[in-house]
Amino acid sequence: MKLLLIEDEPLLMDEMEVYLTEQGYRCEKAMSFAAGEDKIALYEYDVVILDITLPGGNGLTLLQMLKKQHSEAGVLIVSAKDSLNDKLIGLNLGADDYITKPFHLEELNARVNALVRRKSFKGNAQIIVDDLVIDPVAKTVFYKDTLVNFTKKEYELLLYFIVNKNRVVSKQSIAEHLWGDHYDMADNFDTVYVHTMNLRRKIAAHTGIDYIKTVYGMGYKFTSV
Amino acid sequence: MAVILSIAGIALYLLLRQEVTAEMKEQLELQADMVTDQVAQRKAVNFPLTTITEVSADFPPNKHWGDTLIYDRLQHEKEGYYYLTLVKKVNHRNYQITVMTSYIGWERYYKTIFISFLGVALWMAFFGVLINYYSNRKIWRPFFLNLENLKQFSVRSAQPLEWHDSTITEFKELQYSLKDLTERSRREYLALREFTENASHEIQTPLGIIQSKLDRMSQLEVSEEMARYIVQAKSGVERLSKMNRNLLLLAKLDNQVYSEKQLIRVDEQLQQHLEQMEELFSVRNNVLITTLKPVTVKSDKYLCDILLSNLLSNALRYTPSLGEIAIFLSEQQLIISNPGSALDFPSEHLFERFTKNASHPQGTGLGLAIVYQICLLNGWTIAHTYQIGVHYFSIDFN
Repeated sequence: MKLLLIEDEPLLMDEMEVYLTEQGYRCEKAMSFAAGEDKIALYEYDVVILDITLPGGNGLTLLQMLKKQHSEAGVLIVSAKDSLNDKLIGLNLGADDYITKPFHLEELNARVNALVRRKSFKGNAQIIVDDLVIDPVAKTVFYKDTLVNFTKKEYELLLYFIVNKNRVVSKQSIAEHLWGDHYDMADNFDTVYVHTMNLRRKIAAHTGIDYIKTVYGMGYKFTSV
Repeated sequence: MAVILSIAGIALYLLLRQEVTAEMKEQLELQADMVTDQVAQRKAVNFPLTTITEVSADFPPNKHWGDTLIYDRLQHEKEGYYYLTLVKKVNHRNYQITVMTSYIGWERYYKTIFISFLGVALWMAFFGVLINYYSNRKIWRPFFLNLENLKQFSVRSAQPLEWHDSTITEFKELQYSLKDLTERSRREYLALREFTENASHEIQTPLGIIQSKLDRMSQLEVSEEMARYIVQAKSGVERLSKMNRNLLLLAKLDNQVYSEKQLIRVDEQLQQHLEQMEELFSVRNNVLITTLKPVTVKSDKYLCDILLSNLLSNALRYTPSLGEIAIFLSEQQLIISNPGSALDFPSEHLFERFTKNASHPQGTGLGLAIVYQICLLNGWTIAHTYQIGVHYFSIDFN
């Protein structure tokens, strides 16, 4: 999978590149409008992560160029502007998703992952972790052909953990992923705890393995055997 | 003008009266003289309205003027006459001669003059107004158009105002100053808006960097003590980012960026939020009691969404475990009530910015201020009451 990151902030770009490369993506970088323009014109990508505010131009113009080339690439807009208007314009121009800065890298990764599955496998890819098989279309989880019953939130949480396997995922990140950033989540970390514990217990009951580790007060980490 | 006309009318009346009286006197004297002549020639006198009586010689000669009323057979009314009575010696005999003539009653003069002057006054007034109106319209038209323009003016409008030219120097000057004023305020407003947005953008990006670096630090093997510091730093970043976003939203609300309204089913939106928040309530063992009628209101969809989520997060945050949250929605109002401790500040400050309970310092203190602004924008009224340990937030849609 080939990704193009268009972002003018080097420190943020660095984080994105490191983490997404860890996840097995081949990442290319463009730090300005002109660099982005060149890369788009020359190469094909599976996913383009696009910052709207760039030195030398507007990211939305690059999006229009991509669409004009009939590019197959999935486009994820990254914007510092939390405005509905920008979001609607972006999605109307053919972007696949929109994420607002500041974001958690796990969230970005989860969005890229969902985009890749939707674009490249038409959503048909099963996600397999040891003996756990997840069907993202039916939203079901099987352990050795036995259906494991999860609530909707538990399922989303499991998928989030698996996509961000081997990474410490903070409670904030989980709370925002599950409930959005509308609510003030600072009070709701108990809920994250309860859900994570339930998920852990259910998986352990079927597989006998405790995949999710608590990392001090920082969050949780999913590690496969 | 009325005064001038009245004075002229009265003067005319008096002048006419004097003239006519003098003329009548002349005529009567002439008539009396002619009658005397006829009497002297011993002819039969046949002047109309003339009486001649012979009187004793004792009567001294005299001349007397007077008014009298005589019945008019044709018109069946008494009419005013002016008469002259003379006692005169003709051929050594004493005669009393009375001659009279009618005058058109003075009140009729008076009426005629009054009516014609009134007519003149009315016509003058009418044409005066008409001429004034049309000339004013021509002269003032650009002024009023510009005034109307100015009333509609908003610094938010996308286009600068179009001005209507006038030939009057003062109006021209006024127009130039207004043009300058409005364009300057528009420019400054746009600059301010751009600044707010840019500031928010510039703040969000470094916040993004801090957050991602803290996330990176969490991936490293760190001591428990270090982990605690990282978590604390993260919660600070989280709050700052939330606050920044809320402040931007408030600035946008102040600038009335969201002026488009659409019809929204509040009950459906509320239901979505409640479903989304279900686990958040259930973990705290909060009981939700909802009475929702299908209700449509006019608002920006995004704003209505924020209003509901802010009110619900507020209820969620301040309701103690096992507390009962009631949500009531009717066509007139939305009431959300939750048990909780009393406010530790005067309740009139509740909807002000950065007001928060000392027990929950982690909030931004902006949520309810945003709710208040959204209500204001939609023409709704929000009220808070606290009764027997329960907070009531009610929004009146009308």
